[in-house]
Amino acid sequence: MIYLKDIRKSFNQQPVLKGINLKVGKGEVVAILGPSGSGKTTLLRCLNFLDKPDEGIVQVGDVQVKTKKATKREILSLRRQSAMVFQHYNLFAHKTVLENVMEGLIVTKKYKKTDAKRESELMLKKVGLEDKHHHYPSQLSGGQQQRVGIARALALNPQVILFDEPTSALDPELVGEVLSVIKTIAQEGITMVIVTHEMSFAREVSDRVLFMDGGVIVEEGSPLEIFNAPKEERTRQFLNRISRDIPIPYLEEKAN
Amino acid sequence: MGKSFDPSLIVNFVPTLIHYLGVTLQILAASVSLGMILGITAAILRVFRIPILNQFVILYISFIRGTPILIQLFLVFYGLPAILLFINIDISRMEALYFVIITYALSNGAHFAEIFRGAIKAVDHGQTEAAYSVGMNNGQSFRRIVLPQAIRIAFPNIANAIIGSLKDTSLAFTIGVMDMMGRGETLIAATAHGLEVYLSLSIIYYAVVLLFEKIFRLYENRINRHQAVNVSAAG
Amino acid sequence: MTIDILFIWTAFKEILKALPTTLFLTILPLFAGFLIGLAVALIRIYKVKYLSGVANGYVSFFRGTPIIMHIMLIYFGLPLLIDQISAKFDWGFQSNSIPISLFVLTALSLSAGAYLSEIFRSGIISVSNGQMEAAYSIGMNTFQAMTRIVLPQAMAQSIPNFTNIFIGFLHTSSIAFIVSQKEITGAANIVASTNLKFLESFIAAGFIYWGLTIMAEGLSFFIEKKATAYNRGGLQ
Ligand SMILES: Nc1ncnc2c1ncn2[C@@H]1O[C@H](COP(=O)(O)OP(=O)(O)OP(=O)(O)O)[C@@H](O)[C@H]1O
Ligand SMILES: [Mg+2]
Repeated sequence: MIYLKDIRKSFNQQPVLKGINLKVGKGEVVAILGPSGSGKTTLLRCLNFLDKPDEGIVQVGDVQVKTKKATKREILSLRRQSAMVFQHYNLFAHKTVLENVMEGLIVTKKYKKTDAKRESELMLKKVGLEDKHHHYPSQLSGGQQQRVGIARALALNPQVILFDEPTSALDPELVGEVLSVIKTIAQEGITMVIVTHEMSFAREVSDRVLFMDGGVIVEEGSPLEIFNAPKEERTRQFLNRISRDIPIPYLEEKAN
Repeated sequence: MGKSFDPSLIVNFVPTLIHYLGVTLQILAASVSLGMILGITAAILRVFRIPILNQFVILYISFIRGTPILIQLFLVFYGLPAILLFINIDISRMEALYFVIITYALSNGAHFAEIFRGAIKAVDHGQTEAAYSVGMNNGQSFRRIVLPQAIRIAFPNIANAIIGSLKDTSLAFTIGVMDMMGRGETLIAATAHGLEVYLSLSIIYYAVVLLFEKIFRLYENRINRHQAVNVSAAG
Repeated sequence: MTIDILFIWTAFKEILKALPTTLFLTILPLFAGFLIGLAVALIRIYKVKYLSGVANGYVSFFRGTPIIMHIMLIYFGLPLLIDQISAKFDWGFQSNSIPISLFVLTALSLSAGAYLSEIFRSGIISVSNGQMEAAYSIGMNTFQAMTRIVLPQAMAQSIPNFTNIFIGFLHTSSIAFIVSQKEITGAANIVASTNLKFLESFIAAGFIYWGLTIMAEGLSFFIEKKATAYNRGGLQ
């Protein structure tokens, strides 16, 4: 479903991705962990060419793009394979909740308005916002906005959904509602790549965990392997630092 | 209309016309200074809602913002002598230059007042509260804390307004002031080379505007240098 | 010199007949300037090769010189150019058959284009990057993202600026009287000098401009409220 070959990317001569190779199967849920500045967001954005890699091959679905020869048309069709849920929601500010979800269906999927509306209402129901159709984004809480963001991505029925820290801009009490929506759709067999700092969520939802540091994938494995028996020192240090507030008994119980 | 285009004339015209730049700058300097006094006063009357005067200032600003500078110029030129004649002052022989300065001062005053009022309102209320908390009274807090910050906020808009006013001075010749434009008119009458005259005038105005912009930008950087630069983290 | 209050009303009625000319000299240039300004803003934002240099120079010059210069340069320059071209190709066409108002309209359109391009540019830039990216993420191309997502927001945010430009150009059209256009100021000048009542005539003209300005501000306030309704949040 996703195939990355030797992706490299620098900002101002500063290498940020130093050769990423990755395969993600259909229906797989992959969580990406790693310290701040390790290149997680950049990797995700290379997957839909919001950042153009300097080198390498990106394939999502059936669309393969060789970075060096990428044409506008190729980039557009690559983007149409995936959808993205942004850290800061990025809802279209001048459109209502319903219009936000319909927009992609109308413009890129060429749905008729009535069909787009029916489909969008279904998606909003799925994320629990059937009563907010005619609100503008500025009239919603952060958690509600992010659920619209998820509905907007979901409506496109993409091959892959990309999540960049979908809950890190939220107040703690709103994190739960968003995570539970993501969990529900993960169970539907949609391929997902999720950058997150929510360890227990990553553990629960993902089939595979990648640990990134300094622009490379340091280690990958099942949640059990990564959280309970990390092989690399860097992974261990990171997990120690970050999971101090996750009770150890909980992790052990999960492991068994 | 004119004779055929002769670009070499521009080389002659520019020095002749630049001779009269002083008059233009004199109008600007006088009207900006007077306008500044007027503007700050009017802004304070507005901000503190001084009864009657506040309403009067609102009317004054609305009128200036509501009418072309040309109309204002004619109203002052024909109206001021008429009004002053009521109290037995005869200024009908006053030089046109002074009418221009008065008009542009009134115009600048209204624009400055709006800019200052917006800037005063833009200063965070927490600043006033902090000033009270260290024991300042109303006046001290306004003068020492709010006004300096307001001036910094207002500066870019004031700079724009001054440049706008500089461009507006190009209309002073309509009541007979002998500034660059006035001299340009006489040159056209003498040589019938309108295009070259206006090209020369454009070059001078453009150069002066660019120079002003440069100076204002340098000054703005200076007064903002103690402001922390916002470093935003990439996420 | 005394003030003839009654004559102000007479003059008012007479000068008001010139209102269509003033509106014509205001709205047409703004309309042309809208198109020029949008094109120039996009050229500058996307840094289109060669064109963006020209666009930068155009905006800088027109914003850096008084509008009366633009009128005069076109008024004196364009006929020379037209006659020269006409002579070269033997068209037998003379520039003095072109009405002066056309030169004024051309000049004002170019000025309006320069000022409006700055408004578009800052409007477009003020729409956050995230909006463009979200549009890309759901598969829009640049044109779709621009026309459906960014420009509508940029336009709505620019309404107060558009109002200022409208009022500015309403007032600027008074300069056309210098090249003998019979718009409000020109008409006032004629009424003034035929009746030798200068002050009264210009008071009447002032009231007309003032009234128009207040109406424009009111209308803009109303439109802005509707157009940016999406921005006034309840929560957060
Ligand atoms: N547009 C950009 N221009 C310049 N540098 C950038 C840009 N985007 C990212 N970087 C740099 O690339 C590096 C990796 O950034 P990235 O956003 O991918 O990290 P991240 O792993 O997502 O971090 P976080 O957990 O803080 O979100 C950082 O050093 C960042 O400063
Ligand atoms: Mg990130």
